[in-house]
Amino acid sequence: MSYFLFLFLLCFALAIIGVASNPSPFYGVIGLVMAAFFGCAVLVGFGSSFVSLVLFLIYLGGMLVVFVYSIAMSAEAYPKTWGDFLVILYVFGFAFLILVFSFIFEVSDIMGSLTVDNVGLYVIRMDFGGVMLLYSIGGPVLLLCGFGLLLVLFVVLELTRGLARGALRIV
Amino acid sequence: MTLMQFTLLSSFTLSMLGMTMYRTHLISALLCIESMLLTLFLATTTFMQTTQTTTITILPMTLLTFSACEASVGLALLVASTRTYASDHLNTMNLLQC
Repeated sequence: MSYFLFLFLLCFALAIIGVASNPSPFYGVIGLVMAAFFGCAVLVGFGSSFVSLVLFLIYLGGMLVVFVYSIAMSAEAYPKTWGDFLVILYVFGFAFLILVFSFIFEVSDIMGSLTVDNVGLYVIRMDFGGVMLLYSIGGPVLLLCGFGLLLVLFVVLELTRGLARGALRIV
Repeated sequence: MTLMQFTLLSSFTLSMLGMTMYRTHLISALLCIESMLLTLFLATTTFMQTTQTTTITILPMTLLTFSACEASVGLALLVASTRTYASDHLNTMNLLQC
């Protein structure tokens, strides 16, 4: 499993490079979806399957919305792929930066930590119990998240109102 | 430093560098912020896993909620900028202030 984790972490870093090297937004969204997928695979490898499932469903659902927006709002005639000159310059620069980091911080161990599969009960995973706490003792955090989402609803409605007030105006 | 910590540190740094060095499209900056939040999610979940502490699981859930808030506000700004000025370039954002 350690070698699978190594492979998933490598693919995660490559996908993050694909986002951060700033191609056109269509390709950047593809890189972000791949990063989310490999991040979920890493979390499954570490043993927290429920958090990984939540990340996969919610984050990729949100990414679908961002993907549609990026197709609709930033259409270009000649989109820059990863083979474009400036983008590939960024790609190699970031890969070199990862190499420099790996010399500065000495990566000693492959994993270095136990996963959940090694310790304790096999059936009861930690993340199930932890998310369950959000409904019993961590109730104020849940209320805070709900209040934040309600506030954001009004913020979005105010930003895109479109009459004389708001950010959207006919110039 | 283990491999997981190293990957998370370097990917967070690269996302932050990508956001600071690129200033044409607004949605590319949003994508870089999203990847930073994804890295933070993985970091908090790994923190929960390695310390074997159950109560920290609330932290990635809260982070996911607030990243949804951030994405929605960013997309609202994107829609406002695009429908008003017909482009999503970052240099039209300072026209929104008047």
